[in-house]
Amino acid sequence: MNVLTLPVLLPLLGGSVLLLVRRSGARRLVASAVSALTLAASLDIALRTLHGEILTAQMAAWAAPFGITLVADGLTGLLLGTSNVLALLTVLFAGSSLRHAPVRGAGSLLNRAREAFGAQALLQFLFMGVNMSFLTGDLFNLFVAFEVMLVASYGLLLLGGELPQLREGFKYVVINLVASSVFVVTAGMVYGLVGSLNMADIAGRIAAHGGDVRVTVLAGLLALVFATKAAVFPLGFWLPNAYPVPPAAVSAFFAAVLTKVGVYALLRSFTLMFPGEHAVALTLFALAGLTMLVGALGAIARRRWRHAMAFANVASIGYLVAGAFMGTRDGMTAALYYLVNSMAVIFVLFLVAALAERVAGPGYRKGGHLGLYPWLGAGYFTAALALTGLPPTSGFIAKYALLRAMLGAGGGLRTAVATAAVVTGLLLLYAAMRVWREFFWGESDAVHHVAIPRFMSGVTVAATVLLLSVAAFAGPLYAACGRISSQLEGNAAYRAAVLVPNAPPREGAH
Amino acid sequence: MELLLPLLAAVLIGAGVYLVLSRALIRLILGVSLISYGVNIAILLAGEGERRDAPPLLQLPGPYNDPLPQALILTAIVISFATTALLLVLALRAYQVTGTDHVQELADRPDPVRPPVVYADPEHPSVSPEIGTAADVEPEGEA
Repeated sequence: MNVLTLPVLLPLLGGSVLLLVRRSGARRLVASAVSALTLAASLDIALRTLHGEILTAQMAAWAAPFGITLVADGLTGLLLGTSNVLALLTVLFAGSSLRHAPVRGAGSLLNRAREAFGAQALLQFLFMGVNMSFLTGDLFNLFVAFEVMLVASYGLLLLGGELPQLREGFKYVVINLVASSVFVVTAGMVYGLVGSLNMADIAGRIAAHGGDVRVTVLAGLLALVFATKAAVFPLGFWLPNAYPVPPAAVSAFFAAVLTKVGVYALLRSFTLMFPGEHAVALTLFALAGLTMLVGALGAIARRRWRHAMAFANVASIGYLVAGAFMGTRDGMTAALYYLVNSMAVIFVLFLVAALAERVAGPGYRKGGHLGLYPWLGAGYFTAALALTGLPPTSGFIAKYALLRAMLGAGGGLRTAVATAAVVTGLLLLYAAMRVWREFFWGESDAVHHVAIPRFMSGVTVAATVLLLSVAAFAGPLYAACGRISSQLEGNAAYRAAVLVPNAPPREGAH
Repeated sequence: MELLLPLLAAVLIGAGVYLVLSRALIRLILGVSLISYGVNIAILLAGEGERRDAPPLLQLPGPYNDPLPQALILTAIVISFATTALLLVLALRAYQVTGTDHVQELADRPDPVRPPVVYADPEHPSVSPEIGTAADVEPEGEA
């Protein structure tokens, strides 16, 4: 049993078992245990890969490029580790939040029904799809992983059947189906052009094929698909209304991880398969600047907690793509650190938003909640500082590194995007401080104390500690990001690890 | 044949995109299905570099046809079948809740103040009491 298969197989097993378990207490226990085991396997992979090792597993002993290969390099390890920590926190938070009312004024009945009808099992299938997307080294298998992830996310988004869920869910499903159609036809055309689906093999064959308008078109199509999943402007219009409709824990995981899977796929395609397609990369870089601005402006315009946070997530995607497609190693390093930081920040913000919605309803223009919920205020303040990029948080380190890389590399477009990044930082600061002023500060007679379940606040504290540790361990983490970006720069190591000539059957095959 | 199949794929995808842009949910779903049919034909074409008629069985003389695109199509068909079924159920449910299948009317419908409270599953009697006894009462703190 190769350790690389565990992050895919454990959630699959867990999800299937969860469908059979009838008591909600037992479901909570099973889901938490399975997620903890998946996390252990993922951390094992992460710790080994972050030192530069590349792990591979050839499925059913079919040597690459003929079989499906699972590959874990540093990028995979980093994302796998981070997202599975968040997955465990999501399961724990969902275990508690699905027993209580989603917002103030509503009953707990809806959430209890969601739990009884398989929300925990769907979460496990979602984790399976996410982990498989990170691990697979095969383009068509990546499509399948995306579908597993998306089908689980359809279920989670629609479970409950409220009107906003149906309305936004329909858009979400249709947009993702069209994007998936483009993805699968692109995979087919890549096979038609170079005759392989193994990403490392495709990389070698495209390099041998040389620059060609067909290669550019394929790279553009893949960029279109992944940018839609990652919600890059102008393809991210579906996100800000869709992510606030599912239950709180689910939308926190969606926002923190699912969009980053799109970013991961973009990174993987353009560092491994299409490193020569500078025109497409440049377009993505320019769009990233606009994505930031749109996200920040949307966060200012929205009056409801999770809607505003969803737009803040779009802004963070902009920073991420800008760093990754800047075209320098420093930019990539900064983007990788920003990736970890942004996953933690967005997760904490959504958990805080969930607690705030529980005590005061979905809108944030209420006033006077700081006195009753000082710790909620502290959590929000920490996450808001990290979102806007103020010291002493990890957001400051990440944004400082991004800006320094952009301005250091020079060039008109980089300077323009760097300006957009600074303006976005200020707009986000305004948006974050307005939530602070309108929800936590001030006086209001309408504030009644609603108990926050201890378990929910405990998970939120744990997520905040995670966010702080991204800043506290910035040194080793940033060094690891530097190693990953140098590993990504030349794809030779990845290809050599996957395409071993005359490799004997590996132990992971059985 | 060389021209017919690409033309068919183009027409299917074109018609699908046209239907997806229409305002009735059912036409939209048909459009998504047409797109996936067109995509499947396009993948089939990707495997045909030159004409190779023999199926990939070793007792037959080559040149063999490439079986991989067909495996890809098979996977894509299964996935699009399942998602189309999901979309149909979703459209039906949206119609039941709102009484309209018009995309714009659906989008303009304001969010309800309280969520609907009709949940019971006759096939799983063990589920219903667990939900039913909890009623609408909020437990304070962690049970």
